[in-house]
Order: sequence, then structure tokens, then C-alpha cells
Amino acid sequence: MLMVRHVSRAARFLAITWLATLVTTQTGFCQSDLPTTEPELLAILTGDAPPARKALACKGLAIHGSPAAVAELAKLLTDPQLASWSRIALEAIPGKEADEALRKATESLEGNLLIGVINSIGIRRDVGAVELLTARLKDQNSEVADAAAIALGHIGGGDAAKALQESLASAAPSLRNALAEGCILCAEQFHANGKATEATALYDQIREADVPKQRKLEGLRGAILARGDAGLALLAEALQSEDKRVFQMALGTAREIPSKEVDKALATEYGRAAPERAAILIAVMADRPETANSALILKAAGPGPKPVRLAALAALGRVGNENSLSTLLDAGLDEDAEVVAAAQAALGSLPGDGINQEIVKRLSAADDNLLRLLLETIGQRRIDAIPELVKALDHPEQPVRAAALIALGNTVTPQSLNVLIAQAVAPKLADDGTAALAALKTAAVRMPDREECAAQLAAALNRGAPAAKDAILEILSEMGGPKALETVGAAASGNDPQLQDTGSRLLGKWSTQDAAPVLLNLAKTSPSDKYHVRAIRGYISLARRFAAMPEPQRLEICQNALDVAKHPADKKLVLDVLQLYPTVASLQMAIRAREIPQLKDDATAAALTIAGKIKGNEEQVNEILAKAGLGKKKS
Amino acid sequence: MSKTNARLHRRGFLKSTFSAAGAAVLAPTIIPASALGLGGTVPPSERVTVGGIGIGNRGSYDLGCFLEQKDVQFTAVCDIKEARRIAVKKQVDSLYGTQYCSMYQDFRELLDRDDIDAVLIATGPNWHATAAMAAARAGKDMYCEKPCTKNIAQSLILKDTMARTGRIFQAGTQRRNLPHFAFACELARTGKLGKLKRVYAQPRGMTTLMSGWQPAEPEPEKNVIDWEMYLGPAAWRPYNANLLDGFNFEKGGGFIAGDVRTPNIGGGLLEWGSHCVDLCQWAVNDCPPPVEYNPPKDGQVLTRYESGIELVFRDDGWIPLGSCPVRFEGEDGWVEAGDSGKIVLSSPTLLAGRTVEEIGGYPATFHVRDFLDCVKTRAQPKGNAEAACNAHIVCHAANIAVLLNRKLTYDPKTNEFVGDEEANRLRSEALREPWRI
Repeated sequence: MLMVRHVSRAARFLAITWLATLVTTQTGFCQSDLPTTEPELLAILTGDAPPARKALACKGLAIHGSPAAVAELAKLLTDPQLASWSRIALEAIPGKEADEALRKATESLEGNLLIGVINSIGIRRDVGAVELLTARLKDQNSEVADAAAIALGHIGGGDAAKALQESLASAAPSLRNALAEGCILCAEQFHANGKATEATALYDQIREADVPKQRKLEGLRGAILARGDAGLALLAEALQSEDKRVFQMALGTAREIPSKEVDKALATEYGRAAPERAAILIAVMADRPETANSALILKAAGPGPKPVRLAALAALGRVGNENSLSTLLDAGLDEDAEVVAAAQAALGSLPGDGINQEIVKRLSAADDNLLRLLLETIGQRRIDAIPELVKALDHPEQPVRAAALIALGNTVTPQSLNVLIAQAVAPKLADDGTAALAALKTAAVRMPDREECAAQLAAALNRGAPAAKDAILEILSEMGGPKALETVGAAASGNDPQLQDTGSRLLGKWSTQDAAPVLLNLAKTSPSDKYHVRAIRGYISLARRFAAMPEPQRLEICQNALDVAKHPADKKLVLDVLQLYPTVASLQMAIRAREIPQLKDDATAAALTIAGKIKGNEEQVNEILAKAGLGKKKS
Repeated sequence: MSKTNARLHRRGFLKSTFSAAGAAVLAPTIIPASALGLGGTVPPSERVTVGGIGIGNRGSYDLGCFLEQKDVQFTAVCDIKEARRIAVKKQVDSLYGTQYCSMYQDFRELLDRDDIDAVLIATGPNWHATAAMAAARAGKDMYCEKPCTKNIAQSLILKDTMARTGRIFQAGTQRRNLPHFAFACELARTGKLGKLKRVYAQPRGMTTLMSGWQPAEPEPEKNVIDWEMYLGPAAWRPYNANLLDGFNFEKGGGFIAGDVRTPNIGGGLLEWGSHCVDLCQWAVNDCPPPVEYNPPKDGQVLTRYESGIELVFRDDGWIPLGSCPVRFEGEDGWVEAGDSGKIVLSSPTLLAGRTVEEIGGYPATFHVRDFLDCVKTRAQPKGNAEAACNAHIVCHAANIAVLLNRKLTYDPKTNEFVGDEEANRLRSEALREPWRI
């Protein structure tokens, strides 16, 4: 145990604190004095310490224990309360002593305690225990026999495998499940160690044995994988199975094998599968992009059984190419809404360097429906095709123009934003106004230079029709930023009643702190009580919503609001804010607010609430309360 | 010992009563149209029959996501708490207008049912790995809440077991199916940020400790709370009501609190790390876990991948984007995302013309849908066992570095710490009898 002796003091301290936390609770039961040297931990085990302390000593020995601790730990294996703690250490301590102690314990234990020890033997992969575990396969207690079978599986190797195989041949039905699992575990180790022949034999035995279905499926998967290329015939057979679970296991296994031969097997089975199965086979093909049979998938995406078509359309979105475009466009114009949706999704993600160019190229020869779809796809894929989109704004069909506007919303640059602004402010056709404003909003909120965009919108505000003006203010509100704030603030305090209404409404729900002075100014100067209320409430809400706001700034807002608010109901909102952020300063402000006649009772209640919430500062808080004649803080 | 022996014959008990358990379900006199696939519902042959194991707070949320799916037939619930069993049955039966939902106290009885395709495992973390492995051996696919494992060994066994049994495993790492997180990870993975230098995860400290051996209290009736099953694979201790918080009980085995000197680091590495680190792992293309783990310094735990990319656990320094934030930094840019559904980027050009709103965030239902689709196609879901295994190993290894307060070197090929026996001993922990994974 060289490592144990070299453990640093820091590590030992940390181990103490870690172990202490294991017994630290909200009720405060703590044993922080637990030692971390092996002799001291052993002394706890051999002494008359309570079980809780012995349990923790076992945990300590899992880190610090050496073979010298094994004998004392082994004594606890018969203790129903401490056996599990003991095994935590015994599983962790390296060396033959722990192996031997666990083996020895199997001679006298029974029931769950025996099972626990057998489990630990399996985890330690004790080859020396194969013989005793083999004997336990015939234990009268079937759960002990089960545990022995699984432990043998974990240990693996020729002897363990042989014992499991031989037992399986004559085992009672109740034991076959565990024996089969043990065999599978052994086979897995054989396979991992390059012993494919041994692995295959075991897997095949399980496939053919009278064991639960799940074990047979595991045998099937293993038999396919262990055989390598020779396993493909078995895979093909499984893909043809009428048994749903066998088919499902084959689908998963097919994804694990990179060979192109798997794609051939999938294609073969696809050719004779019912639509529901064919659709799932296409999903498997799409998960193999390096070798997928794209021609088959492309064909399946054409008219035919709907489940197959939907699966193939989805697959093309991942593994398609330039050749898939026509098929997808045809599907995008189908009468079936699900087909259309699947095609549109695939058009949006279709891989291929030349796709975007080809889509734009097809615009000139497209009929109205195809044109609409192509325009939608341009927007979806963010293809740079501004001239073509602008040209489409003159198209006689409204759906085409709407598609062009949506695409413009997704693709215009700061340099071409004016195209959309012009459409929004003064659409060529009245029908396009709503779509143009929606597109403008889409574009505006994603512009990299927000201030420049806001400036353009502010300049357009005066040119628009009334409905457009409101919409532009809404867009500015969504965008945020200094210019937007300035513009909306000016509208709220201007002379146009409509803009006053819209502007004050938007300002009242502004989402950044820089709106504070604008809101305060509006609250002070607005001749309209309605707008005053909107402004003062919006102003107070800034202090409420921003938890990270510096306290002086929050208190300044609160004080200003108390001074400027015309209505007691609004002043009370300030008290809510003070209670939400309880500090000595907010307490003092609440106490001062008691001087406002309409607020006295509420402010008194608020002050007491704040005082109760303040952590620490007991003396100062009580002093402030006493000075205000409010007694002492409630504990 | 007599009590121990009495528990031994569960299998015999199950064999003799399994049909009775089925018969215990009230047979309806009229089969509702929904059960026949009428009225626009999915016909039975295309439904995934699901059972729930441990449906508490988080489980109830997950259950809601499952019940929203038309191709789910939720048929059974298992919980060690009677009140929860009854509540779930009531909810499910009310939804379906039937009395079909069976109740179990022992999850093995539920797993023995051939008519259940998949299970939702939302027990406390103490049970996740053990129940998941049992489900796999029983041939069930599963959606398993996180943290999925208690140590490194369990993480590896989880991955191997799911492969061996051919089961579909979806860890409850739903952020893999949230578009804004997926987008952020894609930026990192596909080189849009330039050569990736550093990824950040927020462990979020946890100071409430709920494990340990507390003074014995009178044990409730087994039918009300089955303490024996609650303990399950955890080392024995007497009943104490304080330990009934499954969320915190035995999370990460012995690492529930990690180093108590740094309360922000410890068990939290696993609780939130299994989300945040999972996303970091996705950002680095799900490569093997880091090879270097350093003890806490300046509020950070630094780990390093073989490629040189650093994974940093830190609680502070985040843009306020809600819980579970991640940040990915490359030579040409960075991105940060959180549970608010928002993303912040070094440059708007990284959005490639899209908006943050357009990319979208919640609902978490996407993750359940991904799982169900994969149950049908046998494809690997986003939170598959291999991805979950690697993410959990990172958290466990970092926890061990915190615990031992020293730099550790990990070999992802052998899954051993190099030259550190103490660290290697902490990779696994014996389970209480008779449990195994």
C-alpha cells in the first residue's frame, strides 16, 4: 500500500471532509472526526463504535484500506446492516486477500448476503472463484444460482464459459435466463479479445437455446457481429423475420456494421417489405450516409405508399444531393399536406454545393405554384437572390408575392433593407401590406447594425400610413437599442395622438434599463393621466425586474417614483419593489414613505416585512425600527 | 436472516402472481373507441406502451410529456410511495377514460410484463443505473432521468449494456433536443467559431445534504413507503424521513457534497453537469472524455481534452441567460446559451441570417418525441447511452479530482486514472445485496 502512505495531508483532510459529508444532514448529525489512516479506521471496526461509524469506516477503508484490513472487513459480511458497507471496501481493496476472504465467506453465508458476496466476486473478476461459482450454479436457492451465473459471465474465460454452457444444456427453466446472460457476457469478452470463434459458438448456442427472447436477441446480435462479413447472411435473415423484435434487433445491428454489403441487404429487404417496414428500412439507410443507396431513396420519395414516401423525403434531407431537387420540388407541390411538409423540410436541409444556384436558376421557367415553392425555399435556405425576389414582388399572384416578401425578410442585407421598408410603408398592392410589415420585422430584428436599421425605420416613420406607423413602432420596440428608444420616446411625447398611445404603451413595457429616464420624463410631463400611469408603472417595473441592478440605481428609481406618481396605487408598487430587495437602505426608504399620508399603513407593513427579510445587521435594523417607533425585528 | 431469506423468493412470487397482477387490472366492459384507434387516435399496433418507474416531481413532468404523445399508451406505474402510485393511476386513467393503468410497488414486476415496450425511469438518482440496466435486460427501451449513473464504472456498464441488449436509451438530457442549445453546439462542432479552444459548463452548487446514516425512526408501513426498495442498491441504513428526498439521496454515490470547503463544487458537478457537460461534449463532437482534471482554483475546475480543448466548470461569470448555461469559445468567435431560450454570440453573422427567436427554445417535449421515434426506427436518440456515458464520466472524474484535491490524468482508452490508485478505487462502488447492474 505504497500509495496509501504517500497520500498527502491535503488529500487526507479532503477525505475526512468527504466522509463527514456522508453523515452531514440538515439536522446536523456529523462525524467530522473520522480518521483516515488504516489503523485508526480498523480500530473503529474492532471497537464498540455504533454501526453508523463502522459503516463510514468501511467507506474510509475503500480508499485507504490495504490487505491488512481485509480480515476485519470480512467479519462484517455476516452483518445484515454492515455487509453492504464492508463490501464497498472489499470490492475496492486490491490483492488476493480480499478475493480469498470473499470466497471463504461464500461457505457460510446464505440468502441475500451470499448473493452480495457472489456479486462482488464477479465484479472483481476473480478467476480463482470459477470452481466454487460453478458449484453454486446448482444451489437450491435459484437466486444464488443466478448470481453465480452472472458472476461467471463477468469473470469470463474458457473455464467459466464451459461451466455455463454445460449447465445451460441441462438447467431448470428458472435458471436458463441467468445462464444465458452469463454466456453472453463471456462471449462478449471473447469477441473483444479477438476470439471470434469462441464468441460465435457461445452466441449461437444462446440463439438456439430454450431461453428468454431477450437473451436470444442478444445472441443474434452477437452472432452477426462476431462473424464479421460472414454474419451478413444472418443479418439479412433477421431483416426478413416476421418477428417484430428480431427485425428491430436487426435494424440496430445493421447500424453497427460499416460494410457496404449491409446497404445491399437493406435494399434487398426493402424490395419485398410492406410499406411500414420499408419506411423503417429507409430510416436505417439514412443513418448510413457514407454508403446509403441514394438512388433507391430518391425513387422511394416519389409517388407511392405514403409511409415510405415520408421516410424517403426525410432521408433526402440528410443524404440527398443535386439529383434530389426535382423530386423534392414535385413533392412540395403535392396535394397531401404531410408530404408537402416533409418535402419542405428536406428542401431546407438538402446537402449539395450546387443546390442554391440550381434553385435560383429554376425561377425563370417556373409556373406560379413552383415559383412560390422556390421562393419559399430561397427564404428557408437564406439564398442570396435579392434581385429575383424584388422582381417577384410585381407578380400578379398574391401567394407568390407573399412568398417573395417572406424570403426577403429572411435574406435582405442592411444594404437592401430599404426594399422592404418601401414595401412596408407604401406597398405596391394593398394586399401586401401585412406581409411586408411582417417581413420587415423579421429582417429588422436580425440586422447586425441595430442602430443603423433603427435610424432607417425612424426616418420611414413619417412616410407611412397610420397602420404602418404603429407597426414600425412595434418593430422598433422589438429591436430595442438607443435609437429605437429615442424614436419610441419621441412618439410617446409628441403631438400625434395615435403615436402617443402606441409609443407610451410600448415604452411602458420596455425591456432595458436605459428606458428609465425616458419613462420618468414621460411620467412627469405627459398631460394625459393614461400615459402618465403607463410611464410610471413601466418605470417602477424596471426596478422590479432587474435583479442585478445596482442598489443605488434601484433606490433612485423608487424615490423618483414615490415623488412623481400621482396615484397611491402606483406608489404602493414602489413598496413591493422595496420588499422584493430587502436591504437596510430599502428599509429606510419604506420608513420614510410612511410620511406619505395615503401610504402610511402599507409602508409600515412593508418596513416590517423588509426588516424580517434582512439577513444580519440585526443591531442596525432594530435601531432603525426603534427610531421609527416600530419595535424590534421579528425573529 | 429470516427477513433476508424471505425476500429471496421474489421470482417464485412473481411467477405465481404475474397473471394475477394482470387480472388485478379491472377489465372494461366496453372498450373505448380510443383504444381501437378510432376518433383520430393512433391504432394500438402503432403505439408504444410505456410504464413509469418512480414518478415524483420530475417524473410527473416527464409523464406529462409522454401523455401528450398520441402514440403513447401509458399502462403501468411503479413507485415505492403509495400516494404517488394512486395519483399517477388517477391521472392516466382519467386521460384515457379507462381503468387500465396498473400499479406496482416493485419495478421488477412491471418489467416482467411482456406488453410494455418502454419505461420512463424517474426515480431518485440512487436507482437510475440499476433500474436502467434491469430494464435493458428485460428487453425494455427506456427514457432515464439524469444523473444516470453514480460512478465511472456504472457509466461504462450502462453504455455496454444498452449496446449488448440492443435497447434504445434516452438520458433525460432534454437540452440536446432544444433548438437553441443544438444551434450553439453546432456552431462549435462545425468550426463556425474557428478552432475550438474552450467550453464552459455551470455545475451550480448544491449545499443541501441529504445522504448518510441518520438516527433510526419508526419505519412506515411497507405499503405506504417501501424503505427496503427505496434504499435499493445503496448501502444499508435505518429509515429516517430526512432521507426520503430522492432527488438528493445518494446522488453520485459518495460524492453527494464533494469537497465541503467549496460548497459550489461537489455533487452539483453531477446534478447540473450531466446537462451542461453533456452539451459541452456535444460541442466537441462527442469525443472521449477529457484526459486531465485539475482541482478547484479560483472558483473553476479546469479539465482538458486530448485535443487541447479545455472544459471549464465555473459557477460565476455567466451572461444572465437562465439556468444551465454553456459557453463555447473558438479562435474566431464565441456563443453562450441558457435555459431562457436565448443565445448570445460574438457576432450576429454567426446566426447566418436567422434570429434567436426563430431558432427557438423549449418545449422539452421534443426529447420525448425523439425517444419515441427511435423506439420505432431503432436509431440512436440524441441522449443515447454512449453520449450519456461520456458526459457522466467527465462529471465523475472531475468530482474525484475535487475530492482528492489534486490533478488527475485519465486514460479514456483504459478508463483508468494514470498512476493514482485512490482515484481508481473511486471509480466504482459495491451495490447492496442482492442488487447488481
